[in-house]
Amino acid sequence: MEIILGLLQVVLREGMIYGIMAMGVYITYKVLNFADLSVDGSFPLGACSAAALITAGVNPWLVCVICFLAGCIAGSVTGALHVKLHISDLMSGILVQTALYSVNMVVTSKKAVLSIFDMPTIFSTGLGGMLYNSALDQWAWVIMALIITIVVKILLDLYLKTRSGLLLRAVGSNERFVVSQGKDPGNMKIIGLMIGNGLVALSGCVLAQQKESADASSGTGMVVMALAAVIIGEAVFGKAKKLRGTTMAIIGMIIYRCCLTAAMQLGLDTIYLKALMSGLFIIALVGSRLKNERSARNVIKAAENK
Amino acid sequence: MRKNLVSKVIAAALTAALAMSLTACGSSSSASTTESSSGDKKTIGVIQYTTVPSLDNCYEGFVKGLADEGFVEGENLTIDFQNANAEVSTADTEAQTMAQKKYDLIGAIATPAAMSAYGACKADKIPVVFTAVSDPVSAQLVKSLDKSETICAGSSDQLPLEAQLQMIRAFLPEAKKIGVLYTTSEPNSITNLETLKELAPKYDFESIEAIGVTNSSEIAAGAESLVASGVDCINNFTDNNVVNNLPTVLQAASKANIPVFGSEEGQVYDGCLASISIDYVALGEETGKIAGKILKEKLKPEDSEIYTANEGTPFVNTDVAKTLGIEIPSEYQDGTMVTTGSNK
Repeated sequence: MEIILGLLQVVLREGMIYGIMAMGVYITYKVLNFADLSVDGSFPLGACSAAALITAGVNPWLVCVICFLAGCIAGSVTGALHVKLHISDLMSGILVQTALYSVNMVVTSKKAVLSIFDMPTIFSTGLGGMLYNSALDQWAWVIMALIITIVVKILLDLYLKTRSGLLLRAVGSNERFVVSQGKDPGNMKIIGLMIGNGLVALSGCVLAQQKESADASSGTGMVVMALAAVIIGEAVFGKAKKLRGTTMAIIGMIIYRCCLTAAMQLGLDTIYLKALMSGLFIIALVGSRLKNERSARNVIKAAENK
Repeated sequence: MRKNLVSKVIAAALTAALAMSLTACGSSSSASTTESSSGDKKTIGVIQYTTVPSLDNCYEGFVKGLADEGFVEGENLTIDFQNANAEVSTADTEAQTMAQKKYDLIGAIATPAAMSAYGACKADKIPVVFTAVSDPVSAQLVKSLDKSETICAGSSDQLPLEAQLQMIRAFLPEAKKIGVLYTTSEPNSITNLETLKELAPKYDFESIEAIGVTNSSEIAAGAESLVASGVDCINNFTDNNVVNNLPTVLQAASKANIPVFGSEEGQVYDGCLASISIDYVALGEETGKIAGKILKEKLKPEDSEIYTANEGTPFVNTDVAKTLGIEIPSEYQDGTMVTTGSNK
């Protein structure tokens, strides 16, 4: 029993930390309808900046803010390439992802891995340290991850309700509406990409602080993981209209991490993990498409019946 | 209606997968607790970062070393072996689940695996025994090579670069510039390059021309420009990316008629002129012995010394020497003489 709880800790902790990234990808992929591949670069950007800044003795909470802003800058470059220079969305993402590799090597002063073992992080000082030293033990990390993710989620939900947030949502679904409001949809796209990549970098920063090290090549596979989480979340909870997209993204990530951990526990050779994940991805994609088709048909039927 | 059914089935399948995963976590983990709690049986986890010959050899030696200390896999030892397929997030998850299962010890092969394992095991104080880590001090895995002072113990595969430089000087008495091709994301290569640059003047080399690449597609261009910059030879490290693409490097070098020096015996069989090689099986075996001693509680990781393979043996490829018209120096004629492809 203790071990199941232990594994549950791992799943929840990783699920929630990567969940911040899933929310970021939810903004770009679902809200903006933009397939953003710069994620594979902005995730390690957050992780490496966090490790470098913590080594330099910066306050760990301030580090989170700086990492978010660093991600925003990366996102703004992707956005500018797409909107101002008319490069396709996929290509802008790939270009930024590639360039970020160099940036990350500069951030880590040419080291491929940066350790911050036993240095102050949000998990070991202040609130995190207090929780950890209480009887909660390792649940403290889960609680910290939960607190950070919930705070980010609430802030993001609040933003999406503001005028600027509403316009952002309109860009993905009805660009003309944005134009009719006298706003430039291109600029809204750039803002969306900034928020999305900011969240991805923040996720990398929180993860680096939790595991106390950062790796410049830790971005591999992050886009797929985050997209899978967003789509799984939608496929499972799409019917529950009251659930927000951000919530679905976080829960989707927890389900994804759960399946992954379970597959490893079942003794699946790790070389098959990728195939398994693609399989899950396909099931979720087909599932959510069928659901959309059905709801579209229901709308038509309802209209015909009138 | 039919569509409705389909999506219901999919929803059910996803829920089932979730439920199954939770029970799976339960069943497999309960199995491992019974194993680790019964008598002298030990359960350890091993994380290998990626699949390359030197790391595979490390694991082979590691199991042998444990057996030398009386822990035989399948008898009184259960090994949960996981390969991270060169993905940091996979290594993290593997390390964390192993820590949660309270294994008796975790073995980690290569730097990223060791860092994931240390991060995951720190809180529970599960010993981590690493190997194939070039610079455990700068990775902050241990405080110093003489005394670990952390939960980590193990061995470093710091290349015998001084012996290598001495050998290059003997083979090429006139050489001035050594070229190095390395991958910027591989920590071991960066450490080795720094050491090589420091040592080069001692053996009268004027400069080290280093070109960093980021992935396999850049190897060809990197090797060509290295040769074009007028180096007298190319020296390889145990850089996974460069070693995996060795034929490309050899091609570029042979066009300019310059030799390539390897870092492992395997590379000499594949067409490098010579190398001072570490025996990775032996390195793994020493590491396995350290792990065995820790399992027997004869050794505390905090007090352990990091084992370093300082001595390498020279391997020389006679085919390549003949093609390039290089005479094998007398002091290296006792080394192991091989011909291209003769290990297959």
